[in-house]
Amino acid sequence: MEVQAGKVEAPSVSWMWRFVPLGLLILIALIYPWLAVPLWVRFATEILMWAGLAQSWNIIGGYTGYLDFGHGAFFGVGAYITGIVMLQIGWPFWIGLLFSGVLASLLAMVIGYPTLRLRGAYFAIATWAFGELVRQIATILNVTGGADGMQLPSLLNDLFFYYITLLVTALTYLTTYLLLERARFGYKLLAIREHEEAAEMVGVNTVWIKIQAFGLSAFFPGIFGGIFAYWITYIHPDSVLGAQLTDFMVVMAFLGGIGSLWGPFLGAIVVQLVQRILWLVWGEGTFYLVIIGAAICAVVLFIPNGLIGLLEGTGLFSPRESLNQLKKKVKW
Amino acid sequence: MELFLQTIIDGLLIGGLIIIVGIGFSLCFGVMHIVDFAVGEWVMLGAYAGYLMVRTFGHDPMIYLPVIFLIFFALGWLVYPLIFRAVSGKRHNPVIMGLVFTFGLSIIAKGGALSVWGYHIQSITTWLSGKGISIGVVTVPALRFSGFLFGLIVTLLFMAFLYKTKFGIIIRATAQDRDTANLLGTDVRKVGAFVYSLYAGVTGMSGVLIGALFSIHAAMGAKYAMLAFFVVVLAGMGYVPGVLVAALVLGLLQSFFTVYVGGRYTLAALFLVMYGVLLITPKGILRRGI
Repeated sequence: MEVQAGKVEAPSVSWMWRFVPLGLLILIALIYPWLAVPLWVRFATEILMWAGLAQSWNIIGGYTGYLDFGHGAFFGVGAYITGIVMLQIGWPFWIGLLFSGVLASLLAMVIGYPTLRLRGAYFAIATWAFGELVRQIATILNVTGGADGMQLPSLLNDLFFYYITLLVTALTYLTTYLLLERARFGYKLLAIREHEEAAEMVGVNTVWIKIQAFGLSAFFPGIFGGIFAYWITYIHPDSVLGAQLTDFMVVMAFLGGIGSLWGPFLGAIVVQLVQRILWLVWGEGTFYLVIIGAAICAVVLFIPNGLIGLLEGTGLFSPRESLNQLKKKVKW
Repeated sequence: MELFLQTIIDGLLIGGLIIIVGIGFSLCFGVMHIVDFAVGEWVMLGAYAGYLMVRTFGHDPMIYLPVIFLIFFALGWLVYPLIFRAVSGKRHNPVIMGLVFTFGLSIIAKGGALSVWGYHIQSITTWLSGKGISIGVVTVPALRFSGFLFGLIVTLLFMAFLYKTKFGIIIRATAQDRDTANLLGTDVRKVGAFVYSLYAGVTGMSGVLIGALFSIHAAMGAKYAMLAFFVVVLAGMGYVPGVLVAALVLGLLQSFFTVYVGGRYTLAALFLVMYGVLLITPKGILRRGI
């Protein structure tokens, strides 16, 4: 795990600086529910879930460079499969979750086999159509309850959902770190993103690698969908398969910085906090959409590498140097 | 037999409307390689513009079509520099940046419309509404027919413009090879701005017709974005004449599915068709796209 594929460690960052903040973050995440009021525990659960979802999108959209505009479909598929396993078959929640993840992943691989041959805009449109198709099918089928939705058994235990979301999100980030930042697999994906023909020429089995990446990126939304269904207890096509799910994943990943490990996390925190604070101040509204849209436009125009790109290289101890670095990164 | 004929007529008339949405979109992709995710939002804004004009000034919405074209042309002219910026410069992947930028624009437009007008459903009525022409056993609704005619006229004007004028040659040259056109003295940026404005204007106008035919609400964009995508995929991306065929095929498919299979399967069936086309012949049913 340490030195693979000739990755050169940045010498300036010591071991301490890498793991102390991470340890603190994990510690805070673990004790957080005992410090915060219930509403903020729910908000934190949402943030964690979105951080995981945005990262899962990042695997295919950021690292591989294939924009998936139908990623929310895997979330919805996961939610419905957990619901069906629990209601129709009567198996416990855990097995439902496992099924959700595995089936969402398999579905992605089946769908990916033909669509991943398409490039750029074609792939974006094909996946977008796939997302809408899944939503349509969910409103037609009987087993999903059609447009009326599905009522799951309820478990009113916010702590349980906080910790399970934390666990799955941590697994998402750990998997991304190990497989995409520290293994050959990740380098192959980057090679595909930067120049697919060249990658193929040097012996990367691009089709198979892309299918694996797509399957991996669909696994986590499947599981999050299952957790969400059990948490919210009532699901219907608009809530778990609506276009806004994919919208948010894309926005968070882009705002934070695509193709980076912590970008989606940062993006999820910022977007979700802004949305929730607006919600607390103004109540239920739609104006947050305008702000989110403006944010994504501004990111594309001025900071294509996202917020995380701004932070990189800005030392903590020299404000002047940090400011200069920052100025270079914003493209006026 | 009557039902069959009526289904064909309805399908062709719907197809005529879809042409208007698809044609600018297709040209836009052909010339600038921009897939505008905000296409449905241009339709929605056009419909609201028509609705507001009728409510403020009265009269029939059809007479405002030229004004709306000009307004949206100007809007497109204002938005284009931003899009140009998003797809140029030292970006990792200009196509992706363009997609995401217009995606952001569509979220702004949708959110703004929802915030201003809420979830209420509005409608525009014109003197053509509810009238129809009976030909033998079938009825041709007047409003749909005028939409169809309008679609045909817009398409013919587009074609004449693209294939018969000097500026049309410049646009087609830019679509064929940006860099060479640029080297030969074409201001690629200006051509792009013009094409984008033209597209915004035509799509805004189509919004008025769609608003008069169906209903107006802030989230209506997605449906027409879907239709525009279907059309360009069927036509072959960037191949403008294909739009005519593809939109009529799509209209027929839609109306046959609605009548003979059931309305709720229509979208799913269209998706499957589009999916199949993307996989079997990504260059469109006429194999002439990029």
